[in-house]
Formats: sequence, structure tokens, C-alpha cells
Amino acid sequence: MDKRWLNFELHKRKILTLILLLAFMLSLFFVEWHSNLIHSGGFITAKQIAAAFFTPDLSGDILLLALESSWTTLSYAAAGMSLVIIIAFFFGIFASGILVSEGKIKRYIRPLFRGQLGIMRAIHELVWAWLFVASIGLSSFAAIFALAIPYGGILGRIFADMLEDIPREPIKALEAAGASKIQALWYGYLPMVRASITSYAMYRFECAIRSSAIMSFVGIGGLGYQIQLSLDDLHYDEVWTFVFFLIALVLIIDLWSNQLRKRLVQ
Amino acid sequence: MQEAISITQISKSYERKIALSSLSFTVNKGELVALIGPSGAGKTTLLNLLAAILPPSQGHILIDRQPLSELMDHKKRAKKIGIIRQQFDLVGELPVIHNVLAGRLSEWGIFKSILSMLVPQDKEYAVQALIRVGLTDKLYEKTSSLSGGEQQRVALARLLVQSPEIVLADEPVASLDPARAEDVLELLVKIALEENQTLIASLHSVEYARKYFDRLIALKDGEIFFDLPASSVTDDHINSLYRLKELS
Ligand SMILES: Nc1ncnc2c1ncn2[C@@H]1O[C@H](COP(=O)(O)OP(=O)(O)O)[C@@H](O)[C@H]1O
Ligand SMILES: [Mg+2]
Repeated sequence: MDKRWLNFELHKRKILTLILLLAFMLSLFFVEWHSNLIHSGGFITAKQIAAAFFTPDLSGDILLLALESSWTTLSYAAAGMSLVIIIAFFFGIFASGILVSEGKIKRYIRPLFRGQLGIMRAIHELVWAWLFVASIGLSSFAAIFALAIPYGGILGRIFADMLEDIPREPIKALEAAGASKIQALWYGYLPMVRASITSYAMYRFECAIRSSAIMSFVGIGGLGYQIQLSLDDLHYDEVWTFVFFLIALVLIIDLWSNQLRKRLVQ
Repeated sequence: MQEAISITQISKSYERKIALSSLSFTVNKGELVALIGPSGAGKTTLLNLLAAILPPSQGHILIDRQPLSELMDHKKRAKKIGIIRQQFDLVGELPVIHNVLAGRLSEWGIFKSILSMLVPQDKEYAVQALIRVGLTDKLYEKTSSLSGGEQQRVALARLLVQSPEIVLADEPVASLDPARAEDVLELLVKIALEENQTLIASLHSVEYARKYFDRLIALKDGEIFFDLPASSVTDDHINSLYRLKELS
């Protein structure tokens, strides 16, 4: 190999760091540093919001509304995740190329599905939501699909990587015992990645809840929608109630995920 | 005596390295053969060629007078040849029973194998095999929670269920402590005798090889150094086999 190229390889990281640092410093010059950066009433509002943190609205109506909205947010995230799991399962298996033997077909199948997954996750769920709202209108399906596509892309990619990274010996042993590709998938690959993919999927579920909350603008209601309404009405105490519910929701998923992982790894 | 394996003029080279050069020998049905030799001699390579995990660079292998290269259907091949290596060959995340029942995969269709994960199929096979290897109470335990010796017994139980005519074993006891190693080796030989199997095992312990096997094939630098009945192998043979190059 060429020596100069080798040198570049060696210092690639330092060069990259330098470029990023320069970019950051340059960006500081483009921020307009005058008093309008935070608008004049900003501090007062900020103080009000901070004060409301200690006095969330705990009246029955709001609690009920928060509970209902949490349920909506949760159910959209769950519906989205169900689709995500199906997408990730099939795309991930094909993108890992483990079902086809080495050779020509594998050389096409693997990049094809990996590329597909790449495109799916290159676009943020909010952009997908815009696209779906533009095409199928304000509907809950818009939100679910918008969530399912990029998340399917992410989970599918991780699943494919995990399948490719497991130790080969047990798989070779299964094949030597007469297992077909699908049998090797079922008895080797899937059991071996089960614990880690489950815990990663649970983490994505957590992210899906946050996304589902802010996707309320496509008309699906939920916690994000309520936060927006209360903000518009300057009811910061209500805002905090909804935010606390959102935090609780995420924490509950986290607890559940830990429980699951403990059971799977034990 | 009937021939189980016959290899003629087998060579195998990796990119530049010659691992085996021009090996020929035959093994009869029911023979117990130990492969010995210093590390890098080519024992693993030879066993992988016999198991059709690797193709030879030159020469042919006959299994039951039939070319191995024609035994392409690996479901059929699994009935002829089984291989056991170190315990890393098991799927640690599965309960013992499924690792054992994997020996039935060559018999099962897709539906039955998927169903078996929920409701174990042909469970009697696994139970019987585990009784024979002395692990009756571990049926539903997670395989990775077993000790090294127990895991190697699970691998033996899988092999019992698979029930091939020829058993290849690559350093089956390499990672076990001496007491466990002898247990497992004894079991391997006992099963081979009971099932009338042909056994070829690579070992790094000459002592075990002489104790449990009929015939010793010694490899050195990819060639056969000697091929003798266990009883006629002398200490001189062994010393010159393991002697370093500059001394010989
Ligand atoms: N995959 C491989 N690529 C290149 N060389 C290899 C490979 N596997 C084994 N070898 C070489 O072939 C020779 C024989 O190796 P092996 O069959 O593993 O010997 P043994 O099992 O007797 O220790 C060694 O010199 C080893 O370095
Ligand atoms: Mg070896």
C-alpha cells in the first residue's frame, strides 16, 4: 500500500476532529449575538414555567385527561412497534444474508435489503409524517406508518448486524448435524440474538413513545397534543402534569424492559 | 472387514500454506482411531475434510465406497458422518433439550422443527440420550449454565440422537480438566462401541490415545509420521513425533 495513504489513515481521526472543531468555531460567528436572541418577555415566561413545575395541575379532570392521553400515546407507539418488529424481522434476516448460501445471490440480496433499510431510516419520522399526511390525510395510520418505517429501518439494521456477528461454530455444528438454513435460523441464530435484540427493541419502544407524543400534530391526540394545547393557553401547570405522565410512561417501559432482560439473560 | 473411510492422495493448502500433503489411509468399520501430533500438524484440517466442512485441494475421500463429494445433501450426510468439537459448538442460550434434539433436524421438516421449540417433538430420543450420558436432571436447564464437562456430554447426547455411522471428534476434551476429560473420552468410546460406530478423534494427549483407542495415526507437518496399532507405539515413536525440528 502507498505510504502516504497509510499516513492519512493514521491521522484520519485527528484531521476529522480538527475539521469538526473549526466548523463549531465558525458557527459561533454566524449566531447573531444580540439581545433579541432571547425575546424580552422570555425570562418572565421561563420563570413562570419553572414555577409551575412545583405546582402541577392535579385536579381530577386533568389527571383523567392525562391518563387518557397517555393511553393514546402508548397505543400508537405499540401499534407502530408491532409493525416495526415485523418489518425488522424480515428485512433484518434478508439484510444479514444468512438464509442464502455464499455466492452470487447473496452478493445481491444483502446489499439490496441493507440499502432498503438505509433509505427507510435516512428519513426522520416527522418527515414521513408530513409525507403521509400529504398523501393520506390526517389519520392515525399516517402516524403509525410514519413511526414504523424509520424505526423498522433502524431495528432491522441492528438485527441484521447482530445476526452477522454471532459466533459461527454453533451454526456450523447445526449444519453438520443436518440442519437446513431455516432450521439453523430457528435453532441457532434466533436463540443467540434473542436477549440482545429484545432489549434493543424495548429501547426503541421507549423512543417510539416519545416520538408518538410529538407526532400529535398529524391529528392523533395524545400527550404531545395536550401539552401543545396547554402551552397555547399558557396553563403551564397543566403542561407539567402531562410531561410527568410522559416521563412516567417512559420509566414504566424501562422497568418492564429491565425485567424482561433479566428473565432472558439470567 | 468393511471399509468405512478411504482417502487417497489427499492434499489441502490454505492460501500459501500447505496443511496436508498427499495423505492416504483407510479406516475400517468400527475402528477406533486417534489422530495425534503437534499442534499445526493438520489434525483439524483432516477432520474438517472428512466432515465435508472443507473441500480437499487434491485427492478423493470415499465414505462407504462412495465419493464424499457426491454426498452433497447434508441431511443424508448427517446420517453418515457426525462431528463433535469443543463445547463451543452448542447454542448456549437454548435449554439442553433443544440442543440435544437438534440431532433430529436432519429427519424433521421445517414445520416440525419450529413446532418443537414450543412442544418438544420426539422427546424420548433426548431423554434416552441424556440418560446414556448421565445428565438426566438437566433437560430444561439453559445450556450455557452447565459446566464444560456437562456441555460436552450434551454434545455427545446430540450425536447419539443424530446417530451417524462415523463419528469425528476434534480435540473433544481439550478444554476439560483431566478427570472430566477421561469421563467424556470414556463415554465417547463406549458409545462408539455400543453403536458400532467408526470413531476418529484428534487428541493432544498421547496417554489417552493409547489407553482408549485401537490405532494411532500420527501427523507431523501435514504428513503421516506413523500409523500403528496402539499396542505397538513405543515411547521412542512419541518422542520423535513431538521433537522440535532443530533437534531432529
Ligand atoms: N483457515 C486457515 N487459513 C490458513 N492456514 C490455516 C487455516 N487453518 C489452519 N491453517 C494452517 O494449517 C496448518 C494445520 O492446521 P490444523 O489443521 O489446525 O492443525 P492441528 O489441528 O493439528 O493443530 C497449520 O499450520 C495452520 O496454521
Ligand atoms: Mg486443531
